[in-house]
Amino acid sequence: MKRPKKEKKNRDMAIPTDSFSDIAFLLIIYFLVATTLIKVKSITADLPAGEKSTQAQSEKTPIINLRGEEVFFNDKKTSMKELNERLAALELAKQEAEKRVIMLESAQGTPYENYFQALAAISAHDGVVAIVENEK
Amino acid sequence: MGDIAFLLIIFFLVCSEVSKDNGKLKVALPTSEHVTKTTVDVVARVVVDDKGDIYFDGSRVDNAKDVEWGVRALLTNTVTDDQRHVQFRCDKSQPREVFEPVLQAIASAGGIIEAVGDNAVE
Repeated sequence: MKRPKKEKKNRDMAIPTDSFSDIAFLLIIYFLVATTLIKVKSITADLPAGEKSTQAQSEKTPIINLRGEEVFFNDKKTSMKELNERLAALELAKQEAEKRVIMLESAQGTPYENYFQALAAISAHDGVVAIVENEK
Repeated sequence: MGDIAFLLIIFFLVCSEVSKDNGKLKVALPTSEHVTKTTVDVVARVVVDDKGDIYFDGSRVDNAKDVEWGVRALLTNTVTDDQRHVQFRCDKSQPREVFEPVLQAIASAGGIIEAVGDNAVE
């Protein structure tokens, strides 16, 4: 008995790629719309880590005190603008590493806004921040 | 066209960095005239939100000590200073008692602090 011949399917083996570019561009548009470009602005502060100094710092080391909303530079009340001017006058960039240290002391309740501005001012004038920790 | 489009997709995928920040955190950033656009890559992100809660790379931690251990672990194999930057975002209303231990923890662990802020509008 003769086996019935299998009917050959007339298949075209090529994968249809006509719509690929449409899909790809749709994906691109999706990424472009869904992406949020974050432009982060910051200040860099390299705080000296490590041992706590038990010795009192030299009296000549400038100290910034933050007491709530008030700012004191070497125990004299000042404003953030004046603080910037006084730090600029110190020309810390030209000083040796040891003389670039600026002590930063803050009272309880000092908001981060003030602290950040003081930190930014010190960093902008090439100072090295030393946080003063009150003894408990 | 399809080739070009797929090349563009691959380019975007390779160049994109997925944000590790938790988008739900409410942080009002402080302002200063000295902030500049960050050009360094950070190894970790620390956030203190408006409630005073501390987050390390998007996960909430109990206290500053956890941040110190986390940063210390990440910096174990670092060689250069460029690999020591830690991004710090803190709500501007937070008092010293909340943010200073975190700053000290990052510094103690050997991180260089990248404190995020906005440009002051004059």
